[in-house]
Amino acid sequence: MNAASWGWLVLLFPLLGSVLIGATFRVLPARTAGLIGIGAIVAAFVCGIAAVVSLQGEPAESRHVTDSLWQYASVGGLSIDLGIYVDPLSLFMVLVVTGVSSLIHIYSYSYMKSDAGYHRFFSYLNFFVFSMLLLVLAGNYVLLIVGWAFVGFASYALISFWYRRETATRAGMKAFVINVVGDIGLVLAAILIFRELGVIDYGAVFEKAPEVFTTTNEWTAVAICLLLLVGAFAKSAQMPFHTWLADAMEGPTPVSSLIHAATMVTAGVYLVGRSYPLFELAPAAADVAAIVGLVTLLVAGTIAIVVTDLKRIIAYSTMSQIGYMFVAVGIGAYSAGFFHLMTHAFFKALLFMAAGSVIAAMANIQNIDRMKGFYRAMPFTAAMLIIGALALSGFPGTSGWFSKDEIIDFASFRGGWYEIFAIGGYIGAFMTAIYSFRIIFRILPGPPCEEAAHLIETGHVVHGEPVNPATGEKEDVEVGYPGEDHHIAEQATGMKIGMSVLGFLALVGGLVQIPGVTEVITHFLEPTFEDSPLAAMHPSVSEAWKGLAKGAVISVVGIAFTWWLYIGRPSVPETLRRTFRPVYTLFVNKWYGDQIIDFLIVRPVKGLGRFADRVFEPFVINGLTGGTIAIVRSAGGAVRDLQSGMLRSYALLMAVGTVAILLYLLIRSL
Amino acid sequence: MLSAILWTPLVFGLISLLVPRRFAAWAAGAGTVVTLILATIVAIGFDPSGGLQYVVDVTWIPGLGINYSLGIDGISVFLVLLTAIAWVPAVAFTASRGTDRAGLFYFMLLVGQTATLGAFLAQDLLLFVLFFDLMIVPFYFLFGIWGSDRDGVTASSATVKMIVFTLIGSLLMLVGAVAVGVISADGGQLTFNMADLAEAGLPSGSQNWIFWFFAAAFLLKMPAFPLLGWMPDAYRVAPLPALAVFSAVLSKVGAYGFLRVVLPIMPDATELFQTTMLIIALASIIYGSVMAFTKLDLRLILGFSSVAQLGFITLGIFALDSTGANGALLQMINHGLVVVPAFLIVALIAERTGSEEIGPMGGLAKNAPVFAVIFLIVTMATLAIPGSANFIGEFYILNGVFNTDVAIAIIASSGVALAAFYALRMFQRTMHNPLPEGADSREISLRDGLMIVPIVLIMIVLAFCPQIILGDTADSVDATVAISKEAAQ
Repeated sequence: MNAASWGWLVLLFPLLGSVLIGATFRVLPARTAGLIGIGAIVAAFVCGIAAVVSLQGEPAESRHVTDSLWQYASVGGLSIDLGIYVDPLSLFMVLVVTGVSSLIHIYSYSYMKSDAGYHRFFSYLNFFVFSMLLLVLAGNYVLLIVGWAFVGFASYALISFWYRRETATRAGMKAFVINVVGDIGLVLAAILIFRELGVIDYGAVFEKAPEVFTTTNEWTAVAICLLLLVGAFAKSAQMPFHTWLADAMEGPTPVSSLIHAATMVTAGVYLVGRSYPLFELAPAAADVAAIVGLVTLLVAGTIAIVVTDLKRIIAYSTMSQIGYMFVAVGIGAYSAGFFHLMTHAFFKALLFMAAGSVIAAMANIQNIDRMKGFYRAMPFTAAMLIIGALALSGFPGTSGWFSKDEIIDFASFRGGWYEIFAIGGYIGAFMTAIYSFRIIFRILPGPPCEEAAHLIETGHVVHGEPVNPATGEKEDVEVGYPGEDHHIAEQATGMKIGMSVLGFLALVGGLVQIPGVTEVITHFLEPTFEDSPLAAMHPSVSEAWKGLAKGAVISVVGIAFTWWLYIGRPSVPETLRRTFRPVYTLFVNKWYGDQIIDFLIVRPVKGLGRFADRVFEPFVINGLTGGTIAIVRSAGGAVRDLQSGMLRSYALLMAVGTVAILLYLLIRSL
Repeated sequence: MLSAILWTPLVFGLISLLVPRRFAAWAAGAGTVVTLILATIVAIGFDPSGGLQYVVDVTWIPGLGINYSLGIDGISVFLVLLTAIAWVPAVAFTASRGTDRAGLFYFMLLVGQTATLGAFLAQDLLLFVLFFDLMIVPFYFLFGIWGSDRDGVTASSATVKMIVFTLIGSLLMLVGAVAVGVISADGGQLTFNMADLAEAGLPSGSQNWIFWFFAAAFLLKMPAFPLLGWMPDAYRVAPLPALAVFSAVLSKVGAYGFLRVVLPIMPDATELFQTTMLIIALASIIYGSVMAFTKLDLRLILGFSSVAQLGFITLGIFALDSTGANGALLQMINHGLVVVPAFLIVALIAERTGSEEIGPMGGLAKNAPVFAVIFLIVTMATLAIPGSANFIGEFYILNGVFNTDVAIAIIASSGVALAAFYALRMFQRTMHNPLPEGADSREISLRDGLMIVPIVLIMIVLAFCPQIILGDTADSVDATVAISKEAAQ
């Protein structure tokens, strides 16, 4: 079997799993549904590995396989195949997605145990994985858009999974609509690609692009790339399309872990990497990607430092880390960007899992101000949180250290104005250390809070009344929301397995790409980026190590500074907050992103709607109608003397009119 | 064969009018099923590259050159099938609920089907006009007699509005049709055969005024901006099963008319007024979308979303581009398939909540996961999520318009984002959020499921392979578009 056949199997299993669980939800025992869900993803992972093995057997220059099932649509020369494109980059994504998904499915198997919507959850989650795999395996831009939109749909369905919560449904709607805006960007990009190049399949597009766009930065090439970026930014929660991600935390925590941290939100990075031949022909657009990434990574960092909702802190950190990835693919550090994508998937999924464990123990309270003393209450979760935070802040030796600093190194290696990405990257790294360890230092040490104490004393988590963490309203647990015995925290085996494997990967995952030693990722991805002059450039090994040393210092100093802030001198944060009140207000209100979008887009459309509804329709449309009716009525008045009733006059008028016209025309034509 | 399809509904309609009351529904149901079987046979036997097929051509009124001439080609084949499909659940749904004066109701409904099929099958311009006018009459009675007064709108006032508008459109079109025949004949033998008329070619000057006579009738029927004044009231009062077929199929006859009559017979005028038509279409998209965005009544959300969708379809047709026109035709089928289940779902929701306003609704998914999933699929198709056949329709339309006018394509694409909002809102406000008191979250019954699910399955099959439709339509549509393209050169 060749790599493409394995690729189809990768797609098949999650889709089958989703349909099977969805179709048999009435009869299937819950646990079985969970096992089918896990099995489908693990099978996809195994097929992904088989595809890699098969592909690695080929010589480097022919490591890309296309295959098509049938012609999806073909009209007027615009022919779309239901086809996949298997190359090192798509398989890299397949392995990251299915690998992390498998672990998160195992975690969910336990975490969602008492949820009334257990089947629905696994059906959706499998569907999400299918969509994500379709996105990365698609062989042309139209099929990419299909995967892209399905992912958005799955994300919507899972954000509003607890659909009785109005906060959740509203968040789902917001995520969906913003993602549709991104889809439109992609649709227009695909249309423009077809118009300029006459093809839509990846291979053909990348082959023809350099022939058509002979000078750099031709405006059509730039336009294509900018439209692609609209889609990429919307999906990856980059500014100004970022506002949905924090609200998406309304979904169950495994969803935040899988979709809103490890996989879906990195789709934009994949898209830029996949379309690198276009972006290299339009360097201006690539710069836009990098600059937006930089701005997002800094802005999100400032927000993550001040918000107090545990999941939202991690969500903003996700935005910030994806900003790094955009910087990477924007400046041409492709393998570094995808390396960071992978390590980020490990440690961010881990952090969310550990956070889920804490939140479960807190009876759903997510405010870190309320959490204390979890080091004693849940040592395993505490260890995982620490590992996650170390990797996130780039502590020497952890996976995040290798990947983040490789991006920054490349920026300073390119030199010139690209230095700002290095400087911004270091500032971002310092903020990362602060917000990561702010979590650690605030919730782990100290005297246990009420819930933690309860856990220590009884060995069981608090069974509080389920409330909506966003509003404090009491939850309706009958449908779609976990019942009281939901709170199983870290005792559950599935959760422990998921967390420990990811903890291990977060710690040592970076060892695959040690400068001058292993560099597995770079070599693996090389065939995909073989035509890129940028990918061929590398900082020397000694420069890379110098960069790593700088990164290590910043990370350690950042962690120490955070320790001083929250443990050494706990009064300082409050003083800072008071001294810099306007800045704090700006940060804690998320730079007013929601308000700006509301003001610029939502209100005008609503206003237009109100105008159409209250002014335009009554006066213009109905005026037109009323006026017409009045004219006809008065004209029909004469007719009505002969016969009464509207229909009769209608028929009569028609008959008389017809005859008159026919006669006139006949006479004239004689 | 086509005559059989055409008259079967009428015959069964008469039977259901005459048989005892309790058999009326059975007779009507049998009629729709027989029609569906015949239409399916025709669609299966259809040769994509065979041009006009199953032709019936009999002289009817020799002095006036009017022939009873039927035929089917790539443009009409799936619209005929859509008509055959849509009426089955409409009759079944009415039968399952019962209605007063059942025989008369089914008779009217089936007369409507014959007239609609006639409009799609007619190859003689005056025959087309005749069926086009006949189409609205049974619906006038269906809405007027069986409609209910809602929101201060009485059924009679709504139908008067509707009929007045149609009257104007019909008269204009009739004049236009006669003029086409007479002017083309130029003193010679009168003919209204559409192919001959297209062949003969009208003088450009005549085309320019006749174009608007037809366009007015078609735009009114869709309806398009700004000729949609009759639509909200008619939608408010109409009985839902009748409204389902009305919105799904009758609105398409207008768009079909452009492809069948206007583009081939008035190519110069089409070319000349292309931009005007594109702007009308664009205005329909924006106006329909923002109104659907604002309204809370489920019928009106669907009604205005139809306006927006028909706007997209018109946009595709007047892109005068192969991809645009094929996308438009695909979208006619898709939209028809979406609207029938959507209105039946509205009826089911109304049965559960006693209301059709989404304001106070919510939570219906609670005990009804299957119902919720069906509605979710319909919603996603309505907002043309990529992966649905609706998306392919829109994609080709946008592609066609993009090649014609980039600015219009970009503005039109904002309609896609608004559709995402209003369609999803409709789903969310009914199915999600807390369940208010007094609402009954009941699972969809097997009987109702059987009416809706088959259409949903068709949607899913088309999602996997929209080429099933495009493959059959492409040749005919391309030929039609080519006529206007030649005119442009």
